[in-house]
Amino acid sequence: MLLEPRLRAQLERLALGVRGRVTAQWAGRHSSTRLGESLDFADYRPYQPGDDYRRIDHNLRARLGIVMVRQFEAEQELPLDIVVDLSASMEMHGKEHSARALAAMIAYMGLASGDRVRLWAIPGDGSRTEAQGPAGRHLSAWPLLEDWLESRPTGGPGTLRSLGRRLASTGGAVVLVTDLLVEEWREVLDGLAPTAGGLVLHVLAREELYPPMAGDLDLVDSETGAKLAVSMSEDALRGYQKAVEDFALEASRRSRRAGLDYLLVEAGQGAAERTLEGLARREVVR
Amino acid sequence: MRFLVPAALGLAALAGPLVVLYMLRSKRRPEQVPSTMLWREIGEPVSSAVPWRPLKLTWLLILQLLILALFVLSLARPFVAEATVLGPHTVFVIDTSGSMAMAGRFEQARAAALDLAEDVSEANLASVVEAGPHPTVRVAFSADPEAVAEAIRSLRPGGGAEDLSTALRLARGLAAPDRETTVVIFSDGGPASLPEEPVVGASHMVFDDHASNLAISGFDAEPSTEGTIRVFVQVENHGADTRTIEVAIDIDGLPTGSTEMTVEGLSAAQEVVPVPAGPGSVVTARLVEANDALPLDDRADLVVGGGADRRVAVVGAGSPFLTALLESTPGVSIGDPDVADMLIVDGGPLPEIDRPTWLIRPETAPDGMDLVGLERNLAVTFSRPGDPVLDGVDLSDTVIAEAQRIETLTWLPLVSSGDTPLILLGEVNGHRVVYTTFDLTHSNLVVQVAFPILGANLLQWLGGGEAVSVSTEPAGTPIGLLTPVGHRARITLPSGDVQEVAPDAATFNATDEPGVYVIEYIDETGSVASSEVAVRRFVPSESSGPSREIAVAPAPGESADEGFLIREWSPWIVAAALALMALEWWVGHQRPGFRRREVTA
Repeated sequence: MLLEPRLRAQLERLALGVRGRVTAQWAGRHSSTRLGESLDFADYRPYQPGDDYRRIDHNLRARLGIVMVRQFEAEQELPLDIVVDLSASMEMHGKEHSARALAAMIAYMGLASGDRVRLWAIPGDGSRTEAQGPAGRHLSAWPLLEDWLESRPTGGPGTLRSLGRRLASTGGAVVLVTDLLVEEWREVLDGLAPTAGGLVLHVLAREELYPPMAGDLDLVDSETGAKLAVSMSEDALRGYQKAVEDFALEASRRSRRAGLDYLLVEAGQGAAERTLEGLARREVVR
Repeated sequence: MRFLVPAALGLAALAGPLVVLYMLRSKRRPEQVPSTMLWREIGEPVSSAVPWRPLKLTWLLILQLLILALFVLSLARPFVAEATVLGPHTVFVIDTSGSMAMAGRFEQARAAALDLAEDVSEANLASVVEAGPHPTVRVAFSADPEAVAEAIRSLRPGGGAEDLSTALRLARGLAAPDRETTVVIFSDGGPASLPEEPVVGASHMVFDDHASNLAISGFDAEPSTEGTIRVFVQVENHGADTRTIEVAIDIDGLPTGSTEMTVEGLSAAQEVVPVPAGPGSVVTARLVEANDALPLDDRADLVVGGGADRRVAVVGAGSPFLTALLESTPGVSIGDPDVADMLIVDGGPLPEIDRPTWLIRPETAPDGMDLVGLERNLAVTFSRPGDPVLDGVDLSDTVIAEAQRIETLTWLPLVSSGDTPLILLGEVNGHRVVYTTFDLTHSNLVVQVAFPILGANLLQWLGGGEAVSVSTEPAGTPIGLLTPVGHRARITLPSGDVQEVAPDAATFNATDEPGVYVIEYIDETGSVASSEVAVRRFVPSESSGPSREIAVAPAPGESADEGFLIREWSPWIVAAALALMALEWWVGHQRPGFRRREVTA
């Protein structure tokens, strides 16, 4: 079970905030890029043959002598694409478990508020760079999504490049749950432009933030197997911590530029609860 | 600073390998990380093809070099030599005579000795000799400062006179062939006689604080004409001011009366007080609120004795004074010369000496003595100090009209006027003899308070009569024990402490404390078979608090200030090294300066 019942009950009362308008097929409760049938007035336009007579503004016609038709906002469902990074780098220090829980938390919240939730995972099966998971619009789909999230294997090299391009101009929102430890992380974040914004949950372990290492080491990259000789001097450790801080700051800046909220999450016990609290504080969830 | 093991400083060369270890690169250990992406950005050369790297001075290296330096230093055993009176072997000769109890002298001496004892070590051994009436070795060749201090702390000033000569002989006997021995004398010098020549290899720490003192210098008992007991009390004022003092008399610990005495400065006053005491009673004289510098001599005890009468016959002229003396001396009766136990020959020809005899100016002198003439108008100028016959006897006002001039080598002058002996003690034909060179009626002695006391003491000495009081000896005089076979002796001290004595002990020597000693002989069943008492008094010569500097001289071949104390620093250095090791561990594991900054949301 990825989410505790108590957390699920809490999530049922919350919804992911959306920055822009959505573009979707089905009606929902989010403002759409299109005009539609809601009660919110949007604009006028000249009457054209075929328009609904009921939308003609007779007051305007009587006062100005022109025939104008009232237009209203459309409300559509939110397409919510959730990408969870299950590459080899996430396998270490328990990050993948936290990542699954975080993805599950966002998915459950989306389902509870009627969004169209779709799951993605990297890497994909075989040589595929990503795997598309099940989708759902109601909480009735939760067991399916949860089962997929729990059963998704971990390991292998991960890349966000392909999926980034695929989700770059989605009409909904995108949530990335990843450590961003891929070479192309900058171009992926820069390339994303979801119409409804989204969220980057940057998952790093405490061992990555404050490496407990000493002596002369050959660091082995868990995904590529590449080695890097490092002497763990005080200066080296200080430099590493500076690099981590810069990494987080830059990721935050690039995320916001792409219209995404950003939160650095320390993996481990209670990561989902801590993240929810951080999101609520930033009013990303309401 | 010097070193006991300077060769150990060579171990400082270990600093070289330590520095080399810091320059060598260790074999790299593989460590898997999620990604090396961020490590590549730290912008520092982290690998090298060569197995060494430039030396970088770190806190760890500095601390480890310091620790190594401290350990090497401690192995070299640095020391400083401090000037001290302690030598390789030092004998503490500590005076415990009565005069040391005056005005805190003993406390100062003990504090000084304890101060020196702190420096006792394997390099500076120490022995402790108690210089009381019976000098004893308390600790010998000890390297344990606590044992030496404990021996010093156990010492107490008594009421006796110090025997410094014997104490110094004991100290010399402790000299070890392989160690130079130094003697440190903690003493006021006292009145005791020492050789004129300086004490070689010794130093004298003089403690001569002085203050006004009143002392009971004489205390004896005599029968009164009413058949009761009278006690004679002599109080001596060693201060310059006249003092009026109340003397309380206790019998068996119960107050029975008191008398007030006024004593002029640097003189003595006597008083005779009748007391309702019987045989076996303990009579105590106390100075009430004396507030003087020496409390030990503010009290004196005696035990009223008794026994079978001895018959004494007077031969020759005789005198009423002699008759009165014999009548008033308890335990003595006047008897027929043929059956008398003792003779008093008052003038006339010298009889055959066949029993203890008191010769008073006979016409001819006994063996060992030559009559060479007569002297006239004499005053007493010498009384043999400390002699029990003169106990409680003040002859300072005695004058003699005419006395024989005597030359002798074998008789002991007890009282003299210049070169002219007045009373001598000797032995003829195996019998004790007292010789008085003057006719008693030609002196004022017979009308003085001292006469009955002197007479009683002389008769006691001669063995011709049992004195009223049990013999009182100076403090420190051993008590002779006559323990029956199968019995053991138990002594109750004046302080109330009880000591068991070994069955074969002939004497009990721990008699420095003035007062009454009760000796009980215990049989096999644990019952007291018999008991007796002995009295020890404060030695009057100690009451004046005499002090002097004892002549000392350095041992041949050394200067007086040659002694030094080796004070090693190693323990402190090792402690500092251990503290630095703890700091090094903390620096190595806590990494000061690398403070974690929280970057998570």
